[in-house]
Amino acid sequence: MAVSPGFKNDLLKAIPSLRAFAVSLSQNVDKADDLVQETLVKAWDKHESFQPGTNLKAWLFTILRNEFYSQMRKRGREVQDSDGLMTARLAVHPAQHGQLDLEDFRSALERLPEDQREAIILIGASGFSYEEAAEICGCAIGTIKSRVSRARARLQEILQISGDEDFGPDAISTQVMTSPVD
Amino acid sequence: MKTLDKNTSAGAPGRQGRIADPLGANSEIGRKLRQYYDDLVHDDVPDRFAQLLSQLEQAEAVQDKD
Repeated sequence: MAVSPGFKNDLLKAIPSLRAFAVSLSQNVDKADDLVQETLVKAWDKHESFQPGTNLKAWLFTILRNEFYSQMRKRGREVQDSDGLMTARLAVHPAQHGQLDLEDFRSALERLPEDQREAIILIGASGFSYEEAAEICGCAIGTIKSRVSRARARLQEILQISGDEDFGPDAISTQVMTSPVD
Repeated sequence: MKTLDKNTSAGAPGRQGRIADPLGANSEIGRKLRQYYDDLVHDDVPDRFAQLLSQLEQAEAVQDKD
């Protein structure tokens, strides 16, 4: 069966999200673009296994994620460390006046284990439900929930954000912000 | 359109409503996460992907003639 023009258009529309997810996973734009390319080729080849009416974005994210982990297995664990990402910025400033620098956030995100990073991205940024994220990652909903919660706790720890809720010049964050910035 | 307005950026509408959303509008982590991701989504997409899809389409058209 031929690939329909609609399918091609839907793939085109999904590319920005796929790239964002790929960069979040691999923390590297070149690797991310290779992942997206591989994903598009696979999606094209397997288009018949996509059921129209179901979530194309989730289907594509699943393909991309599988590709990412299979490349990682092939390359061994060098993937994340190869570009000195882990060593790039070990020290992260405490947040100041409620303004958390995006660069600090990015480097904190890099320091999360992949499974936690993908979970918090899927739930907190890509707009997937816990059910969808569990399906994409091939695990239980409870596993996603616990990864998200560990990711969030770890980010708060790295970024020295106190408390669960809003953040601002309250008593706890004042305590945390004792060390000088820069 | 990258404004991270509290009213518009609370994640998938209605989906996570039952859970007290730990990454919602009141969470600094949640806000930064969306800002980080939205920046990536709004990055310019290289032409190679559109070209790739056109090539796949053409390859298929050739196959179908056989």
